[in-house]
Formats: sequence, C-alpha cells, structure tokens
Amino acid sequence: MARQPEDSPEERVRRSVARTIANLTLLVASIAVLGAWAYFGFYQLEPGQAAVILRFGKYVRTEGDPGLRWHWPPPLESHEIVNVESLDKEEFGARHGEEQSEEEVRHEASMQTSDNNIVHVAFVAQYRIKDAFKSRYRVAEPRAILRDAAQAAVRGVVGRHTIDGVLRQERGMVQTESEEALQESLDRYEAGLEVVGIELQDVSPPSEVRAAFDDVLAAMQDRDRSVNEAEGYANEVLPKARAQAIEAVESAKGYRDSKIAEASGEATRFRAIATEYQKAPDVVRTRLFLETMEEVLPNVRAVVVEPGTAVMPYLPLEATRAPEVPK
Amino acid sequence: MSRMIFLGLVGSALLAALVWAGEIGLGPVLITHEDEMKIVLLFGSPVSVQTSPGLSLRLPFVSEVRTFDKRFLYTNAEPLPMQTRDAEQPVIDHYVVWRIQDPLQFYRSFPTGLKQASDQVDRVTRSDVREEVGKRTFAEVVTTAREEVMKAITDSSAAELAGFGIEVRDVRINRTELPRNTEENVYARMRTERERLARKNRAEGDEQGRRVRAEADRDARVTVAEATRQASELRGEGDAESARIYAEAHSTAPEFYGFLRRLEAYKKTIGEKTTLVVSPDNEFYELLGRGGRGAGVH
Repeated sequence: MARQPEDSPEERVRRSVARTIANLTLLVASIAVLGAWAYFGFYQLEPGQAAVILRFGKYVRTEGDPGLRWHWPPPLESHEIVNVESLDKEEFGARHGEEQSEEEVRHEASMQTSDNNIVHVAFVAQYRIKDAFKSRYRVAEPRAILRDAAQAAVRGVVGRHTIDGVLRQERGMVQTESEEALQESLDRYEAGLEVVGIELQDVSPPSEVRAAFDDVLAAMQDRDRSVNEAEGYANEVLPKARAQAIEAVESAKGYRDSKIAEASGEATRFRAIATEYQKAPDVVRTRLFLETMEEVLPNVRAVVVEPGTAVMPYLPLEATRAPEVPK
Repeated sequence: MSRMIFLGLVGSALLAALVWAGEIGLGPVLITHEDEMKIVLLFGSPVSVQTSPGLSLRLPFVSEVRTFDKRFLYTNAEPLPMQTRDAEQPVIDHYVVWRIQDPLQFYRSFPTGLKQASDQVDRVTRSDVREEVGKRTFAEVVTTAREEVMKAITDSSAAELAGFGIEVRDVRINRTELPRNTEENVYARMRTERERLARKNRAEGDEQGRRVRAEADRDARVTVAEATRQASELRGEGDAESARIYAEAHSTAPEFYGFLRRLEAYKKTIGEKTTLVVSPDNEFYELLGRGGRGAGVH
C-alpha cells in the first residue's frame, strides 16, 4: 500500500491515522484475549488445601499457601486441589454404620497373639495426607490400601505380643509398633499418607473365655487383698510389740535408778550414823539396841532360863504357845 | 508490527488448540500425565512407549493410543481356607500392592486390560500364599515368622509376574482365622491357662499374706525379747550398782554394820507371836527386867 503512487499529503496522514487506529484496536483486542486466557489460570486455595500443578501433564510444584493463586492457564498448566492437614480416621473392629454385619466386625477384630491365644482388638487409625502429589498420582486407592495395611500392621504386631501384654501393660508398645509398621507400608506404596496415630480402643478376650479372664482379675484382687490384710495385721502387731518393749525397758530403768537411789540414800544414812558411832561407840550401840528392843519387845512373850540350872534341853515347841512359863 | 502481533496470536492460539486437542486424545500432540503411561500403536503395532510424563508427538489420525495406569494398584483377595504344615486349616486373607512396570509387555500379556491383569495377580499370589503357608506351621504364619512368610510370598510373586510387565511391591497376609472347631480348642486351652493363672494368683496371695504375718510375728517377738534382755541388763546394773554402793559404805565400819544389821533382823523377826527364851545373863534379860512390861517375870 505504501508504494501507491500519487499520494497527496492529506491522503498519507489519513492513512497513517487509520493504520494507527487499526493497530491500537488490534493491540487492545489481543490484550483482552490474553487477559481472558490468563484469567483461567486463577484458582483459590482454602486453608488446609494444597494444589498440585502439572505442566503438560508433568508435575512441576505443589502450592500450599491459601489465597488466590495463579498458574499458567490451560492448556499449559493445570491444577489439582487436594485436602491436606485435615485428619481422617478409619475404624476397625467396631461397628460403624450399617455397612458391616456383626460377624464381619468380629472377624475384623479377632487376632492371634504370640502365645497362640485369640484376642479381640478394636482400633482407630488416624492419618492425613503428607504429600499431596503422591496421594493423588502415585497410588490408585490410598484409603482402601490404608484400611488393609492398617489391619495387617496391627495383626503383625499383636502376633508378636502375648495376650496379657496386649490386654494390659504392652498396649502402648502395640500402638507405637503398629504405627511404625503401617507408616513403613504406606511409604513403600508411596501413598503420601502420614499415620498420625493408631489407638487401640477396645481390647478384650473373646466372649467365650471372658469369664475365665475375669476370674483371673478377681484372683489378682484376692491376692492384693490378702497381702493388704496381712500388712494390716503387721501394722497392728509391730507397734504393740514396740510399746511392750519400751514398757519393759523403761520399767527396768526405773528399777535400776530406784535401786541405786535407795542404796545411795541408805549408804549416806549409814555413813552418818557410823560417824556418830565412831565418836562414842558404846553409847550409840546401847542406845540403838535399846531403841530396837523398845520397839520389839512389848509384843513378845519371854521365857527366862536360869544359867547353870539343869534344865533339860527340852523344848516343847507346842507348849511354848501356852501362857505358862515352864520351870 | 500489528501483523507480527496478529501472527503471534494466531500462532499461539493454534498451538493451544493442538495441545487442547492432545488433552482429549486428538491430533499430533500426545500428553502423558503423571499417573499414566502410554503406548502409540500404528496399525495395531506399537511404535512408541511413553513412561514419563510430558509432551510427545505422534502421527495424527492413523495412530492409536493405549493408556495405562502408572499408580500403585491394590487387589484384595477373597479369604480362603488353606492348609498349613501342621494340618491346621486357617482362613487366610491377603492383599497385593502392585503396578504396571512395562506397559508394552503388560499390553501384550493382557490385551483386554486391567481386569484380566488383576485376575492374574490374584491367581499367582494366591497360589504363592498357599504354597508358602503349606511349608509353615500355623504359629509361624501367624506370629513367629509372619514377616518372613510375607517376604517369601512377595519375592516369588514378583518373580513370576515380572514376565507380565508387572511389579509386585508387597503381598501381605491380613486375617488368619481358624475354623470354628479349632477355635473351640484354642478357647479351651485359654480357659485352662486362665484357671491356672487364677489359682496361682490366689496361692501367691496366700503365700505373701502368710509371709507378711509370720515376719510381723517374728519381728514382734524379737523386739519383745530384745527389750526383755535389755531390761534384765538394766535391772542387773541396778542391783550391782546398789550392792557396790552398800559395800563401799559398809566397809567403812563393818563391825557396826553387823550390829545394825542384827538390830534390823530383830525388828523383822521378833513380833507378837515370838516367844523369847533367854538366860538372865543375856542382854535381853536385862532389858526385860528393866522394861518391866514383858509377860514373863522371874
């Protein structure tokens, strides 16, 4: 067009204006089209969601921040929103809804222990998606796999413990080991799931043998009671014995101290009198003798025998009681 | 300039259209997603295999595309009774996790698709489970050698199915249930075991109770006896000490002590019922005469 001859200046100006307008229109239009196309690249992420972004079907990244996000519009890139964070749970061996019959639940709960007993274990597995991409693109039915893998894991672990362990003190170990076993399986299947916890809910012996198990519990209580009673007895007997012992010792101390005190008193008295005696032995002697006699003799019957008289050395012991004085 | 923009727009729109067509399986662009593998067939024979995701090209219109799942697949087997080495017949349930390893081989083996393959996986693993279980005792399968058994089954199934383009990741035994009558035997054994435990607990309770009582009695006796010993010692100490004190005091005037002691003895021995036989030259006679209150007079 530019090569057309006989262009008048006005004509040239007019054409150039027209061209500019056309260009502008085209530009605006193309921007509008591009804008409209780009609009399809917007998507929204709620908290707890992640978006897996694929470019031409190939994984490029995972977006985890909530808000309005953008990727290259289709068909260049596409996104898949996966709910992460939220906890999901699967229950086993307990009736949930009407999906399972009683018989099925029983089968699900029944497990063998290492000592070849049967125990019924109901448990809950909690899990969440830890890798949005894997859970969507690496495993076909993550939930179904999880259900079977969880059961296999718990059965495997219960099979390594005795029934008493599973019923009582090893419950925590069973839980932890099951969690580990399940996590290991899930990682091997690249399920992108994280086991948050396996919780044993109802662990009980089968109903067929429950009475026998209850009796063992009762026997344990009997044992404890017997020991408690005996300890009660001991708690009564020992303090009594101790009290008795203290009494005996204290009374003996009393005896000793009183004996010593008495002796000291007597000794002091004796010394005092002895001192007096040594000053005037005869006087003291006589006085003491007389005093004693005064005290003693008034109540006495006396029989006097002359010295030198030939009295038969006959002592009528019975007669001595009589008032007469034999001569 | 406008022309360039225009051409650019039209060009990219065209490319976009091609890719879009590829998304729905038309045109020369082939898109393989992360969870897929594709085989391109030209007149029925495979010409290319796409195992990794992304874009590739193919001849439009004349070529056909077969898509295969690249993800791990899961097959849960029906529980079936199997015989163990020790002649138990537990009902055993297992599951298999597997995936398509080689789409071409897989396609050749299972031209009708996944269902056929899944049946084959089920058949092979089931026979492997049966075979392995047959070599083991029930206790081994269920408890002692569980992992080993599963590993052996996984290995042999993997080896057998590798020829079909299938990778077996895991075969795991799930439920192992004994038939009803065998279960009854187990229950009977469990009951006996519990009865034994109950008896043991009660006997132990008795034993411990009696031991505690006996120990308490012993301790009580020892405590009292020890106290008695101590008491005797203390009394002895008292007696010895008092004797020593007396002896010490009396030894200062032994003769006088003898005198005093005699007097004391008189006081104690002579009373109302006493009859005194005295000679007049005796001290007593003198006293009697002087005292004058005595019953007997000469």
